[in-house]
Amino acid sequence: MTPRNKKLIKVLSVPMAALTLFAATTQVTAREPFTPAELKGMEDKLVASVQRGYDMWYGARADMANNGLACANCHPDAAATNPQTFPKFLPMFNKVVTYRSMVNWCIENPQGGKAMDVNSDDMTALEAYSFYLHRGKPIETGLVTRQTAGAEPKSARGFAGKATGIGFDK
Amino acid sequence: MTDRSESQRRKFLGLTGKAGLSTFFAQAVGVNLGIVDVVSAQTGRRAVTPFRFAIIGDPHLYSQKDHVFDRHLEDAVAQINAMTTQPDFVLVTGDISHHGEVDQLVKGKRILSKLKAPLRAIPGEHDWYLDMGAAYRANFGAETWSFNQKGVHFIGLNSILTPDFWTEAKLTPEQRRDWFMPLNSPVPGLWGVHEKQLDWLRKDVANIAPDVPVVVFTHSPLWDYYPRWNFQVSDSVQVRDILGKFTNVMGFHGHVHHTVYNKIGNLASVGVMSTAWPWPYPPVELPYPEFQQNRADPSNTQDGLGTAYVSVDDKGGAFARYQPFADSLQPTIKNGFKV
Repeated sequence: MTPRNKKLIKVLSVPMAALTLFAATTQVTAREPFTPAELKGMEDKLVASVQRGYDMWYGARADMANNGLACANCHPDAAATNPQTFPKFLPMFNKVVTYRSMVNWCIENPQGGKAMDVNSDDMTALEAYSFYLHRGKPIETGLVTRQTAGAEPKSARGFAGKATGIGFDK
Repeated sequence: MTDRSESQRRKFLGLTGKAGLSTFFAQAVGVNLGIVDVVSAQTGRRAVTPFRFAIIGDPHLYSQKDHVFDRHLEDAVAQINAMTTQPDFVLVTGDISHHGEVDQLVKGKRILSKLKAPLRAIPGEHDWYLDMGAAYRANFGAETWSFNQKGVHFIGLNSILTPDFWTEAKLTPEQRRDWFMPLNSPVPGLWGVHEKQLDWLRKDVANIAPDVPVVVFTHSPLWDYYPRWNFQVSDSVQVRDILGKFTNVMGFHGHVHHTVYNKIGNLASVGVMSTAWPWPYPPVELPYPEFQQNRADPSNTQDGLGTAYVSVDDKGGAFARYQPFADSLQPTIKNGFKV
C-alpha cells in the first residue's frame, strides 16, 4: 500500500466508523423488543455468571491462591471492592487501572495465586458478582482513600448454591 | 488524649498501684475465699487494684506451614510481651483456627504459649463446628467461664451457638463446618449463647454486688450490629438483661475484625481488630463513627490488624487502647479511649 493510500484510509476511517456505528445503532433501536422468553434467557445467563463469580469469590478455583485465602476473606458481599469507582489511579500500579486489573492484583499478591486472563469467562464472572451486588450505586470514578461500606445486597441471604472449597488449604 | 496526658496517667496508675498494695492483699484473700463483699465492707467501697489485660483478636490460623497469619499472631504475641507494664492476662477472642482442625488449634496454642502473661480464650465459629468444640476444649479449656481479678468480675461466653441444622440433613462434620466459613452463609442463621449459658450466667452473677465492675467477652458483639454477617448475638437482649443490675459492664468482642464501639444502657461494647485480615465496615450507620479505622492498604499485609489492651483503674473504670501493627487509626482514638 502506498503512503498516499494509507493516508486516505486514515482520513476516511473515522467517518466510516461513525457510519457503521450509526447503522448498527439504527438497527438495534429499530428491532422489536425482546420477548419475555428472550429476556429470561439473558437474565439466566447473567445470574449463572454471577453465581460462578460467587463460587470463585469463596475459593472455588484452586489456582487463585496458594495460601488458602479467597476474595471473601476480606470482601464479604464484595464489600470494599468498590467496582463503581474504577477505572482509578492505584498506588500499587502507579497508573489508572481497571477493576479487572485490581482483581488480578489481589489474586497475585494477598492470595499468592495465578493471574487470570482478563477476557476469560471466569474474570467476567468475578466482575459480574461484584458489580451485581453494587447495582444502584452511582458511578464515582476516582480514588477512594477512606474505608467505604459495602453494598446492601438485595437478597436477604446471599445467593443460593454451595460455595465449593471455601478457602481450604488441603 | 495526648501522649503527655497518657504518660501522666501511667505515672498516676503506678502510684495508686503502690498505694493500694494493702487493699490488694486484703482483696486477694477475699477472692480466694469467694467473699469479695468483705473487701468493700472494710474499705467502704469496692476495691479495685489497677491492672491491665490485653486482647488478641481472631488469628484464623491455617494448616499450611509458615502461613502469613502465623507470623501475624507471632507479631501480636511479641507486641504484648514487649509492653513495659505486662497485662495480668491475655484474652483471645476466638477463631484461633480457620477450619477447626486439630493441627490449627495446636499451632495456635503453641504460638500463644509464648505469651508472658496467662492466656484466656473463648471460641469462635471457625473453632467449633468441625467437632463441636472437642479440639478447642482439649487445647483451650472450657468455653464458658468466669473469674475475679483484683475486684473485677470477668465472664467468657460461647456466643456462636446455632440451632441444629445438620442432624436432619445428615451433614458430615466437614459439611457442617463448611457452612460456617462464609460470613454471609445462608444456612446456619443467627447464633447466640442459648438457654444453658443464660442459666449459668444468671447463677454466676446472682451473688455479685451491682457496683462490682463486670467485663464480658464474647466472640460476636452483644448488640445487633449487622446480623447478615452475624455481627450479633441472637439472645443479647437476655444477656444484657441479666447484667442489667450492674453499674458498669464492659463487653469486648472479636468477629468483626475492626475497631467499633457502642454503648447500650450499662453495657459499653468494644470490637477489636483481628491478626489475620480486616473486615470492611458493613452498610450500616455506625453509632460512634469516630471509632472507624482507616481503610486498610491491601499492599501492606499488616495494615488494619493489631491487638488491644485495657487499663482498669482503681474506680473500676477502664481505658482501652488499640495497638495497630500499622497506622490504621483515626486521630480520635489513636491514644486510647475511656470504655
